[in-house]
Amino acid sequence: MSPLLEARGLTTVFETRAGLLPAVRDVSFTVAAGEIVGLVGESGSGKSVTGFSLLGLIDPPGRIAAGSVRLDGEELIGLEQGRLRALRGRSIAMVFQDPSTTLNPLLTIGAQMRLALEAHGGRDASAMRARAIETLSQVGIADPAARLGAYPHQFSGGMRQRVAIAIALLNRPKLIVCDEPTTALDVSIQAQILSEMRDLARNIGTAMIWISHDLAVVSSIASRILVMYAGRVLETGPTRDVLSAPRHPYTQGLLDSLPAHATPGTALRQIPGSTPSLVDIGPGCAFAPRCARASEACASDPAESVAGNRRWRCHHPIAAVA
Amino acid sequence: MSELVRLEKVSRRFAQPAGLTRRLAVAAGLSQPPSVVRAVSDVDLTIRAGEALGLVGESGCGKSTLGRIIAGILPPSEGRAMLDGARVMGEGRRPVKTTTRVQMIFQDPFASLDPRWKIGAAISEGPIAHGLVAPSEARAFVVGWLQAVGLPPDVADRYPHQFSGGQRQRVAIARALAMKPDVLVCDEPVASLDVSIQAQIINLFLTLRRELDLTLLFISHDLGVVRHVCDRIAIMYLGRIVEMGPTQVVMSAPLHPYARALLDSIPRLALEGDEAAFRPIAGELPSPLAPPPGCHFHVRCRRAAESCIRQSPLLTPRGPSRSVACHFPIEE
Repeated sequence: MSPLLEARGLTTVFETRAGLLPAVRDVSFTVAAGEIVGLVGESGSGKSVTGFSLLGLIDPPGRIAAGSVRLDGEELIGLEQGRLRALRGRSIAMVFQDPSTTLNPLLTIGAQMRLALEAHGGRDASAMRARAIETLSQVGIADPAARLGAYPHQFSGGMRQRVAIAIALLNRPKLIVCDEPTTALDVSIQAQILSEMRDLARNIGTAMIWISHDLAVVSSIASRILVMYAGRVLETGPTRDVLSAPRHPYTQGLLDSLPAHATPGTALRQIPGSTPSLVDIGPGCAFAPRCARASEACASDPAESVAGNRRWRCHHPIAAVA
Repeated sequence: MSELVRLEKVSRRFAQPAGLTRRLAVAAGLSQPPSVVRAVSDVDLTIRAGEALGLVGESGCGKSTLGRIIAGILPPSEGRAMLDGARVMGEGRRPVKTTTRVQMIFQDPFASLDPRWKIGAAISEGPIAHGLVAPSEARAFVVGWLQAVGLPPDVADRYPHQFSGGQRQRVAIARALAMKPDVLVCDEPVASLDVSIQAQIINLFLTLRRELDLTLLFISHDLGVVRHVCDRIAIMYLGRIVEMGPTQVVMSAPLHPYARALLDSIPRLALEGDEAAFRPIAGELPSPLAPPPGCHFHVRCRRAAESCIRQSPLLTPRGPSRSVACHFPIEE
């Protein structure tokens, strides 16, 4: 079976005064129907730009410089704007970190949901209303029919994010790109939304790409994980395998940085230094300057190694656990 | 260990400022008085010298307001905040802070530094003004503190925009420590930092605390960070402390149903063989403008009974080191 989404060699660059900034470099991955794939990394790792690139949401000075993104067999890169607009919202949708920038403060949520349906051929007012009510109840909003007349400011932050998710669901997209959708929310609300999204993927078969900096969040929702650093995917595989026995020293470093696994009060094993500037990124492994395992070999770009369903890019990977 | 910080029945209300017309209309019975939020209500709390106390809760629970009261930035509406037996702020209509012994670090290191001030000037301003260092010795003083937080001396001559978030937070820490405080109030000091940088700053806190004998109030929504840094933890819900005790004990066996629910709702790193990594709390956080009567948590609580609606439970000691505000605490 061919995957729902297949990205190959995706490369997105930004022209800046300091030079060409490669935000996403040669990123390849697949998402199967109904699967939740986690995309983790620190700020500047290119995880959000990867998400934006999938929907063609890259504006100048940025551009997709190379690569291919196929959704259900259809090539998205280089697609003309009209066709892309028809796909966005219908086949592939996105949920952003801040729901207040997604929603129009001047329109009731009912009106906004109707617009989203009309944009993809919705005509019958009562059918559109019924669909809006259905998606609002899918995301756990009580008394959805009454809430259609409410404005965004009448909802709490967690409820606003649910409305944004409901709008993304309206046209039954096959894939939703979720860019840190719970980061701005309180932990109790985050847990509610995580469990609702997991149920949605299970029940209606929507695939998701879950972008987050939080390894614990990704581990609780995604079956597969991609670890990004400086625009590259450094390691990928089934989430629990990767987090239980990482092959790439960066993944191990991230896990060691978490206080959850350390003895309280003891020094955490920190990754020295900070993330590199992408403008003058060299040809070698971008993590090498911060890596304890680095050697002269790391001045050259490590090729991708494959073992079963695990992949990594490292000259000195951590030995596999038997 | 002696007691260093003491809060006695501290409350803090916030009201929309009412203009003259509104006040006249209220007096004439034509308008409702502006709504009042009780951000903190009736909090009693002590922090011992050298202790690290974690203050956790969801947004709007009053943890930052409480931190600001202890740091002498906000006066309490009622009650007293004391440091070593003396008030942190004076009395009267416009109270001012009367001590330099408590300092604060904020979440956003970008907002806490003036973009037009060089780092060196930002660090030495307070100590010079309070006579902690002579202007002629300010340079060496600044370099000393930069070194203490792991920054090179040339940082003093640069501006905030030239630094990353993690470096700026180091500068903010140096600036607070240069006032030679006994107590450091840290409001979400690592929340805006990347995971790998977070670990660096947490390690810095652990080292500085030991070397300088600091007393810490560590405000955070991240229970993993609090577990790592703090000896004791206080959990707040809608302006009240609902449970307090040694961090390890509270986190492994909480007594308050809210504490249990909060701990359960946080996703844990799920490794091989793990199941159900988190469990959401039912319901939404009520509006702090109109919190439910009695125990504020009763509307979301499975253990709630009628007495929880009628009477709000007081924070009561349970054993030598723990206390809980619940009519039906979870039994060990």
